[in-house]
Amino acid sequence: MEWARDSLKRLEDSREARRNAVHEELSQEEVDRLLQEHHPDHSGKGRSIAVGANANATAFPIELADLLESKSRLPDDYVPAADIETDVLIIGGGGAACSAALALNESGLKTLLCAKLRLGDSNTVMAEGGIQAALGPEDSAQRHFADSLVGGHGKNDPQLLKRLCEQGPEGIRWLTELGCLFDVTEEGMFRLRLGGGASVPRVLACRDYTGLEIMRTLKDATRLTTTEIMEDCPALELLDDGAGQVSGATIWNRQKNCLQSVSARAVLLATGGAGQLRFQQFGTSNHVGATGDGLVLAYRQGCHLEHGGSFQYHPSGSCYPEAMSGRLVTEAIRSVGAQVVNNEGHCFINELTYRDVLAAAIIREVREGRGIQTPAGSCGVWLDTPLIDIKHGAGTLQKQFPGIVHRFAPFGIDPSQTPILIYPTLHYQNGGVRVDEWCRTEINGLWAAGEVTGGLHGTNRLMGNSLLDIITFGRRAGESIKAQLPERKAATRSAADRFQRDLQKLSESSVQGPQLFPVEMNMNATPGQ
Amino acid sequence: MAGINVMSQEHIEVIVSGKALKARPGLTLTHALWEAGRAGEVQTGCDGGVCGACTVSIQLKGDSKTLIDLACQRQVEDGMTVFPYPAPTIPAVAPNREISPESIRAAFPTLDRCTKCGACSMVCPMDIPVMDSVTRMRSGAFEEAAEDFTSCIHCGQCRVVCEDRVKPHNMGMWVRRSLGMAQNWERLAGSAVNSPDESWDLLLDCDEETRLARCREFRKTGRVES
Ligand SMILES: Cc1cc2nc3c(=O)[nH]c(=O)nc-3n(C[C@H](O)[C@H](O)[C@H](O)COP(=O)(O)OP(=O)(O)OC[C@H]3O[C@@H](n4cnc5c(N)ncnc54)[C@H](O)[C@@H]3O)c2cc1C
Ligand code: SF4
Ligand code: SF4
Ligand code: FES
Repeated sequence: MEWARDSLKRLEDSREARRNAVHEELSQEEVDRLLQEHHPDHSGKGRSIAVGANANATAFPIELADLLESKSRLPDDYVPAADIETDVLIIGGGGAACSAALALNESGLKTLLCAKLRLGDSNTVMAEGGIQAALGPEDSAQRHFADSLVGGHGKNDPQLLKRLCEQGPEGIRWLTELGCLFDVTEEGMFRLRLGGGASVPRVLACRDYTGLEIMRTLKDATRLTTTEIMEDCPALELLDDGAGQVSGATIWNRQKNCLQSVSARAVLLATGGAGQLRFQQFGTSNHVGATGDGLVLAYRQGCHLEHGGSFQYHPSGSCYPEAMSGRLVTEAIRSVGAQVVNNEGHCFINELTYRDVLAAAIIREVREGRGIQTPAGSCGVWLDTPLIDIKHGAGTLQKQFPGIVHRFAPFGIDPSQTPILIYPTLHYQNGGVRVDEWCRTEINGLWAAGEVTGGLHGTNRLMGNSLLDIITFGRRAGESIKAQLPERKAATRSAADRFQRDLQKLSESSVQGPQLFPVEMNMNATPGQ
Repeated sequence: MAGINVMSQEHIEVIVSGKALKARPGLTLTHALWEAGRAGEVQTGCDGGVCGACTVSIQLKGDSKTLIDLACQRQVEDGMTVFPYPAPTIPAVAPNREISPESIRAAFPTLDRCTKCGACSMVCPMDIPVMDSVTRMRSGAFEEAAEDFTSCIHCGQCRVVCEDRVKPHNMGMWVRRSLGMAQNWERLAGSAVNSPDESWDLLLDCDEETRLARCREFRKTGRVES
């Protein structure tokens, strides 16, 4: 990285002094100002929408607002018929979907899982840093609750959060019984790391492949159940009985290139997040299926979206080389000692503070001219990764974070020798579909679990809480569906049609939703063509 | 070096499925296909090197050797020839917490058919020493074999080149899950202490602002007084 020689020299020169310096915590006022001035959620680049449960209230990012007010992808003359009949329809193929499928196993219910991509192609498989659970000697469910609530700016739904924290250890036990291998200490106990914003070490990991370990295990286990799995089958619309109950969905079977309607007694939305909508042209860490489809579908049925304008921009998205831009560099790397450094060689913030605060601080550095300009035109700050081996001995980075090393190797970058350039990347949908403790939405027949839901994390999520979210609430959704399965109803498109009529009264949208694929992908998303 | 490539806006030519593709240097194969409106030709899942959806076979200019790699991780190079190379999934095999040389052979009767040809290690995009790991499984060194497959993204290529005789990554999954299930929970988890239940009331039964204040206090002191 010849072009960055001077900047790297300043970084190396300041290393000794930075290494053991203690950071002053920002005051609450300083935090609030930083967020207000530099966090993308507060950029003023959002708008409210005119129809549906959140009409004229919350501001959503423009790209999402357009989709919430979009036209259906179903052809006008399409009349749903029950092509496929099942008891439970799970929409999605990530961790929440598989956890629910496993909870429903052996219930005697016929379960069908429809995934837009292949089973397991998801944000879950990409998770690196780890999963939280109150298992440490100084820890408790209440402490986990307190950390998460402070992180979420007090906006978290306390009942949902209590369930999450209480069931943390049980969730890890379930994963262990399924055969997940988490990292252990020399004494053979779970190794717990400190996550950003946590007051005690609480993050379990499998190197920097935690999501991969969890997803491949859940996928393998799900394939061994009687769950029927349909891949390459995005849901285009939810169906209802005309009297307020969701009763199925129309999917686009991309292998056969035809529409099929599914009649179901219960529908679970587990479609994950919306990072691929790339608000304000941010890069994203998300898999290509993360286009907010579930939000659009549920909204048309009358569901509220909780904190729909709140997104997490992960502080350490990679910003060089271009081919890696937006991809994640896990927070865990900061928790073992990599510092965040600007072009002047200064550490401008405690790198283990809350994610939104750190992201805002990095954006400020770049805006105020203290970032490092890359030849490709992007700008970021350093993540001083070589510090890890300096602090903990040669080989530590490779041992604990083989994924990072592997992903940068093709570009001739060895993070144990050279710092990585980072800039915030659109990472997580903090808000989403409103649910209760049993993952029930406000609409009968419709459940939702995982990143598609909102409330649990308030307006900022702690590292490791969403993997715990999908395990905890994915399973609870399954349990709840078993206990409260509605009778089968007719599957019509009446709610979706009503929403379209309301929409047309107000505006003529040319956007079709759900979006299904990132704009950047230039994919044809019209069934039958 | 990469920085210089990225700056130049000259296009290079890659052949994908027999058709020419003009691409900006510095892009991954996946993004070059997206930009050209040909995203449908190679599957994408994560676009981050961990799902295994995008496997392709590649021949570099002037080299007759065929490589297997992930399109989302591989940068375009002038004159490279690329074909999609997806590996279909095969049924899972139930893990067994009584892991032993016998139980692995019962689950995978083809284990001993490995001829040590090395093809599986050659193709693995994650640089897993697949062949050596199969040897370790044959000799019952399960812990080491599990470790080998830590970064396996189940792209299926090691199985495909072995023509489904030996199923290395399926065995890797089986070994990892079997060992995982056999772990002792009490030993792993130690004794997590939970603070007494009354503090829930203090954290829950109040308005948003009080709750936030109490949580701040709790984080510092590990308890709430009032
Ligand atoms: C790079 C990265 C790193 C992360 N690291 C961590 C971490 O260390 N710790 C942590 O706790 N969290 C982490 N997260 C967040 C966490 O991984 C996710 O929030 C969580 O896995 C979401 O799970 P899910 O099942 O709700 O959604 P997903 O796993 O994204 O699954 C959603 C599924 O639904 C499918 N789908 C979407 N639309 C449709 C449709 N219309 N029809 C049918 N199917 C559809 C998708 O293709 C996908 O299969 C990370 C996320 C990313 C992207
Ligand atoms: S597992 Fe198959 S491909 Fe690998 S060395 Fe043995 S025979 Fe060859
Ligand atoms: S071990 Fe096999 S399945 Fe796993 S990543 Fe390597 S080639 Fe792919
Ligand atoms: S798209 Fe997932 S590995 Fe390439």
